[in-house]
Amino acid sequence: MSDRLDVAIRAIRGVFTLDVAWTAGDGVSVLFGPSGSGKTLTLQCLAGLMRPEAGRIAVDGRVLFDAARGIHVPPQLRRVGYVFQGYALFPHLSVRANVAFGLRDHARADRDRRTSEAIERLGLRGLEDRHPRELSGGQRQRVALARALAIEPALVLLDEPLSALDLPLRRALRDELQTILADWRVPTVLVTHDFAEAYQLGDRVLVYEEGRVRQSALRGDLLRRPASESVARILGFRNVLRGVIREVTADHVRLEWRGQILEARNSGDTFLGVSAGAPVSFFVRPEDPRLLRKDGPPPNPAHHANILKGRVVREADLGVTRSLLLRLDESGPPAQGDYDLEIEVPQFVYEVLNLDEDQHWEFSIHRGSIHFLPS
Amino acid sequence: MSPESLSALWLSVRVASVATLLNALVGIPLAFLLARKPFRLRGLVDLVISLPLVLPPTVTGYYLIVLLGRRGWLGAPLYALTGWSVTFTWYAAVVAAAVMALPLLVRTARAAIESVDRDLERAAFTLGHSEWRTAIEVTLPLARNGILAGLVLAFARALGEFGATLMLAGNIPGRTTTVPLAIYTAVQTGESAEALALVAALTAISCAVIFLAGRLGAATT
Repeated sequence: MSDRLDVAIRAIRGVFTLDVAWTAGDGVSVLFGPSGSGKTLTLQCLAGLMRPEAGRIAVDGRVLFDAARGIHVPPQLRRVGYVFQGYALFPHLSVRANVAFGLRDHARADRDRRTSEAIERLGLRGLEDRHPRELSGGQRQRVALARALAIEPALVLLDEPLSALDLPLRRALRDELQTILADWRVPTVLVTHDFAEAYQLGDRVLVYEEGRVRQSALRGDLLRRPASESVARILGFRNVLRGVIREVTADHVRLEWRGQILEARNSGDTFLGVSAGAPVSFFVRPEDPRLLRKDGPPPNPAHHANILKGRVVREADLGVTRSLLLRLDESGPPAQGDYDLEIEVPQFVYEVLNLDEDQHWEFSIHRGSIHFLPS
Repeated sequence: MSPESLSALWLSVRVASVATLLNALVGIPLAFLLARKPFRLRGLVDLVISLPLVLPPTVTGYYLIVLLGRRGWLGAPLYALTGWSVTFTWYAAVVAAAVMALPLLVRTARAAIESVDRDLERAAFTLGHSEWRTAIEVTLPLARNGILAGLVLAFARALGEFGATLMLAGNIPGRTTTVPLAIYTAVQTGESAEALALVAALTAISCAVIFLAGRLGAATT
């Protein structure tokens, strides 16, 4: 996959500095991160609405911005389709006029053909004469997409396309958006702070924080291998923890956490410091630890590694599952505020084990469930 | 109504209409620049056009004489060149009314333009529209109600202008005596019937303008 989009820019706005460099190929690149991390500013630089202080932007080898050579192609000439947050549809114009807005310089026949095609492909037939205020949220999104796509852009930018919508609709429109983007096959950059959205829509995810790209990864790699503790936190990982390495062998890593020695599988993470005493970050997915039944046979060390004891200090009913916040019986400050580990159990497990009556539990963390994070 | 009063009425309508037209030509671009273009001296321009709002009209009139009078900064060269001076003509009444009305239009129109979502303009840019076309096709149409309201205010202000007009244009019956001046003169000379007729006429015109503005505003929303 060749790099179709090549971005390396530094833009300063007041006290905020955006300093990013990334490339992307075909498909959808998602800029994901908290608000104020520079995602929208990046889009504005790509569209030519903002001029970075330094750097270079190229799409398919066509240079749109190059500070060193004094190149700054104005937004009018970039052929970049921009779907704004809240869509920015022209309220005084009909759906057809909105979609045709970027085609004013085309011959009338060509303009009409392209407008009709965009209206047709986005399922807006029959709504041509309506005004934006007479449309539903989903229809507005499609008009904004049709307007941006009708100019046959070299690049499409979507700024939080679903954030203006109610939750159930958002889910449905996410699917719809995915279909539309797959149908048009235009390189796309999408901004979101919703990880589910980023994961579903993005082929590549760029994790933004404080004006920097913390990680650029194909979406599958992102969940398996977050680049750092801070990326794991931005991605919303729970149980991001810190320990100290005690021993590293070819297939095991022993680490100390909260006064306990945990044994983890060494999956060949080259970034692991081999020296004992080195600090290390790791995470444990809340659904991975296993509560040990009290009515069953005693735990078998061959199957149950890392057996810990703790009590539930808080819990939350998440509907299908229950989240239990456990505090270890160890002394010392808990790892995550007032608790050490979050464990998520299916609702039926919660009921079978009578978790509402019994707060004190033993649980085990499988060796393969401890994932190390590069520091 | 006496011929003098009718002539004053006709003059007033003419003066206010031309002043409003001038305002539209100057004030709308000015409002756009103030709202959207951070140029140097923006603060100064804003101050100068807003001054007539706060200064007594006679003071504004005095400045206009300093500027346009036969010995004024602009008036003297003009007089030397053409032998003509704007003072004591109906043009002077137009200038006075226009200057007094301008801040009302500019402020109202500027607020309306500023309230247009900038993302709409940005969208127009990315769709290939120049700043000029974006202003004409997006910003100004969306600010239309505010601009209309500003024009109505400007017209009303121009129609009622008294002090600056008196200073620059004088009170020459049939030439520069607008309705407010005619009312003042009528009251001074005890012609209360004439005064009442003119007051009624001015009130009627003002009501008609407000009604019209309401209709225009309603038609666009």
